[in-house]
Amino acid sequence: MSLDIDPHIRHSTRHVGRSVPRREDRGPLTGRSRYVADIRIAGMLEVVFVRSIEAHARITAIDTSEAAAVEGVLAVFTAADLADVSTFPDFIPYIGPVEQRPLAGDRVRYVGAPYAAVVAVDRYIAEDAATLVAAGTVYEPLPTVADLDQALAPGAPRLYDHWESNCSFDVAPHKPEVDRAIEEADRTFTETYVSQRQTGLPMETRGVVADISDGTLTVWSSTQSPHMVRTTVALMLGMPEPQVRVIHPTIGGGFGTKTHIYPEDVVVPWIARRLGRPARWIEDRMENLVASVHAREQRHTVEVAYDDDGTVRGVRCASMLDMGSGEIFMPGTAPVFVTNACITGGYDLPNMEARTIGAVTNKTPAGAYRGFGIPEGAFVMERIIDRVARLTGTDRVDLRRRMLIRPGQTPYVMHGGGRLDSGSHTESFERALEITAPALERARARHADDPDVRVGVGYANYVEPTSPSYHLTTGHWGGGDAATVRVDPDGSVRVAAGLSAIGQGAETIAAQLAADMLGVSPDDVTVVLGDTERAPYGLGSWGSRGAMMLTGSVLLASERLLDKARRIAAHMLEAAEADVVLTDGAFHVAGSGRPSVSWAEVGTAAWVRNVDLPDGMEAGLETSGYYHPENLQHQLDDTGRINAAASWANGTHIGVVSVRLSTGEVRIEDYIVVHDCGTVINPALVEGQVHGGVAQGIAGAMYEHFQYDTDTANPRFASFMDYLVPTCAEMPHMEVDHFESPAPEQPLGVKGCGEGGTVGPPAVVAGAVSDALSEWGVDLTECPVTPVSVRAAIRAAEAARGGAGGAP
Amino acid sequence: MTTIETAAEVDVEVRINGRRHRHRVPSRLLLSDYIRDVVGLTGTHVGCEHGYCGACTVMVNQDAVRSCLMLAVQADGAQVRTVEDLAPAGSESLSPMQQAFHDNHALQCGFCTAGFLMTLESVDPDQWREPERIVELLSGNLCRCTGYQNIVNAVAEAWGAYHGDGGSDDG
Repeated sequence: MSLDIDPHIRHSTRHVGRSVPRREDRGPLTGRSRYVADIRIAGMLEVVFVRSIEAHARITAIDTSEAAAVEGVLAVFTAADLADVSTFPDFIPYIGPVEQRPLAGDRVRYVGAPYAAVVAVDRYIAEDAATLVAAGTVYEPLPTVADLDQALAPGAPRLYDHWESNCSFDVAPHKPEVDRAIEEADRTFTETYVSQRQTGLPMETRGVVADISDGTLTVWSSTQSPHMVRTTVALMLGMPEPQVRVIHPTIGGGFGTKTHIYPEDVVVPWIARRLGRPARWIEDRMENLVASVHAREQRHTVEVAYDDDGTVRGVRCASMLDMGSGEIFMPGTAPVFVTNACITGGYDLPNMEARTIGAVTNKTPAGAYRGFGIPEGAFVMERIIDRVARLTGTDRVDLRRRMLIRPGQTPYVMHGGGRLDSGSHTESFERALEITAPALERARARHADDPDVRVGVGYANYVEPTSPSYHLTTGHWGGGDAATVRVDPDGSVRVAAGLSAIGQGAETIAAQLAADMLGVSPDDVTVVLGDTERAPYGLGSWGSRGAMMLTGSVLLASERLLDKARRIAAHMLEAAEADVVLTDGAFHVAGSGRPSVSWAEVGTAAWVRNVDLPDGMEAGLETSGYYHPENLQHQLDDTGRINAAASWANGTHIGVVSVRLSTGEVRIEDYIVVHDCGTVINPALVEGQVHGGVAQGIAGAMYEHFQYDTDTANPRFASFMDYLVPTCAEMPHMEVDHFESPAPEQPLGVKGCGEGGTVGPPAVVAGAVSDALSEWGVDLTECPVTPVSVRAAIRAAEAARGGAGGAP
Repeated sequence: MTTIETAAEVDVEVRINGRRHRHRVPSRLLLSDYIRDVVGLTGTHVGCEHGYCGACTVMVNQDAVRSCLMLAVQADGAQVRTVEDLAPAGSESLSPMQQAFHDNHALQCGFCTAGFLMTLESVDPDQWREPERIVELLSGNLCRCTGYQNIVNAVAEAWGAYHGDGGSDDG
């Protein structure tokens, strides 16, 4: 049911589709929000974790006595103390089990692995004592593996003694039609593309506060998924779930890093229970850079079959993920599967064979980061198309036009089973080209007189799976979410949902929809998210699922509530239920002049004046809805394919760049996004999601790179001085336009928009810089694109020509 | 019992948002921790503790200062302003800059917002209202959610200057 077709709802004001101002803003603007680090409980202790300084080692001794003796220190715990805590579950059958314990025991596999926890009366003292634990730790270093090559080399040192190698999984489908394409095509080329290690890096680091009182363990966690934390903490601590309450207060961004359930989420509650006092741990930024998941480190070896006219006949791709140590729950394996599932983007290319490999290395565990594998695949696909265009003398834009999924071609089933339910793949590209044309002219004119500057343009046409199944990722959870709607005696509305607010405006859109469904003002709607005690089970905010799951579940619950309310109102109006309509927040008999019944009167009848209820009606006015998208699949079918997303958004990114030849400096002159996330609930919020996503995409395209020493697997970064997060000075002007292709199977047509912004920039920047340097034949295959890599490419091209300096 | 040399405790007297605070604190206590943990004003956020991200920016006397790079004892005798002091006291309304942030969707998670607002509060708009100057001014504060465009637009709007996408100067 959509708002427009229910004949019983008639409101003069609609809120869905409008840029309703955010209700979340006032707290942060005035300094009155409460983030995890702002929580104070009397008697609260501070926890500091002691982390491995070795990338791979046995720990042969930890002398905690000096630390424990420091004045103000209450306890120092190591793995031996946590014997009553189970390991993190290994739910996924096809990947190597890591049997991760909350604190590392006698073996550490990455710099940053937590192996002890110091508890003290304040943070300063706990930090002091932590240095004494570190000094009292005896390591026996083991040989390290720092990258995929080292990890998979014959005879490589193994991270897990009970594995046969460092390969965690290798899923290799075989497609005879790709063999045929390679055999029959006019030409082939092979290439390897590389995406570098990055992280989501929310401005708020992680944090956990735990307190046990009256038999209930309350955990405040900066998680994106409080119910999943509850389930996991209860399981690992051996407590009944009703006795564990997980709250996420205001969250300072997540970007995927906070979807995982980390050792600290378990150890801090355990400490609170063990010591009988509230305990708090707030991650500092230095530990955040090694102790929160990394992402995106993938390598793709492709063999491309194409014809002389530019037709891409088929692609064979082996995608390899550097998983880091693999010690993270849920495992960080899924993004590379998403890479392969989405690799053909908005293009009609069924002849794709994609092998998926993951290997462990002595680095921070890899996991989720907004985009979740999609940008890596888009990078590969767009670089392939540009290469084919160049090799065959085909126009890059025309080749894309030939390959794009055309209007009327949806639903379109991709090579891996992803089912593009609707979309504007061709239309978005054409619209983006229109917007780009004057921007490109401006850039060319601006630099026309500077012989040291070249201008180029880069393209990306991507798809964005939204509201995905979590089953392949976790081996456990599925993909639904619940909401409860209640009308109180005074007529005010309360919406509670398992979706969480992480800065994206979830509370505002929940209020917009409930207001439209019930004919009230959003100001009359109270929204409760992120509290397992006050809101029903949900999987939280990740995978561009917020808008779809929240509106799906709130709509379902609202419909049920409205149904009951109309029956009550009909009774009070002494009218037939079918004749009762809700107009601007009041029930009345259609076409009659009789007085109306307000929500307060209905609410009062339901909860208080039960004498006003129809005979036999159950009292109360609170309903729930559990929304599970109908075509969401959780398991592979017989052919090994799956549609693991409830819907598919799409978009086009185009960037115009200038490149300074002498320095290698790249400047994005204009960045154009045409975006289609189905029905838009709040245009300002969607645009905000796009802006922020693009910024993170540009960060990955040009700046952010976690580098490790190849001999020791030691991180070569420790702070924001060597992990370069873009400021506003690095950001181009972004121009955003929209199409709205409604999701055919979602009640409101909503798809989701959280991740798309991140997808385009690596492909766009590499494509645009390669275009700008086409005189030199530069064809970039790796990100980030930096002044160093640009200069290296120019120098290599010049050396290959045997010439020196200057343009050819 | 091991006693780590943690330096002496010192008396600190600071006027924060117009109110006088006197405490005896460890000399090593950061101003950010003093404001948040001792005084209890948690609107100032700590994003990196190494002076880079700007989330903890407060005003000390008239200057924008990263409170994670300053000791509480160094603020002895100073006037400090934090984000809690920006909205008119006892009123539901916001300052013009706060309102512009709200109107332009210039915050999402809001963790960095206080730092941006305090950086902006510390300068004379007449010296900074040109678009390039706004970008220069804000380039010391990290935001991970917004991509900055709406923040720059909000500042331009609040200061009545150049507006966003290729528009013209104000009159």
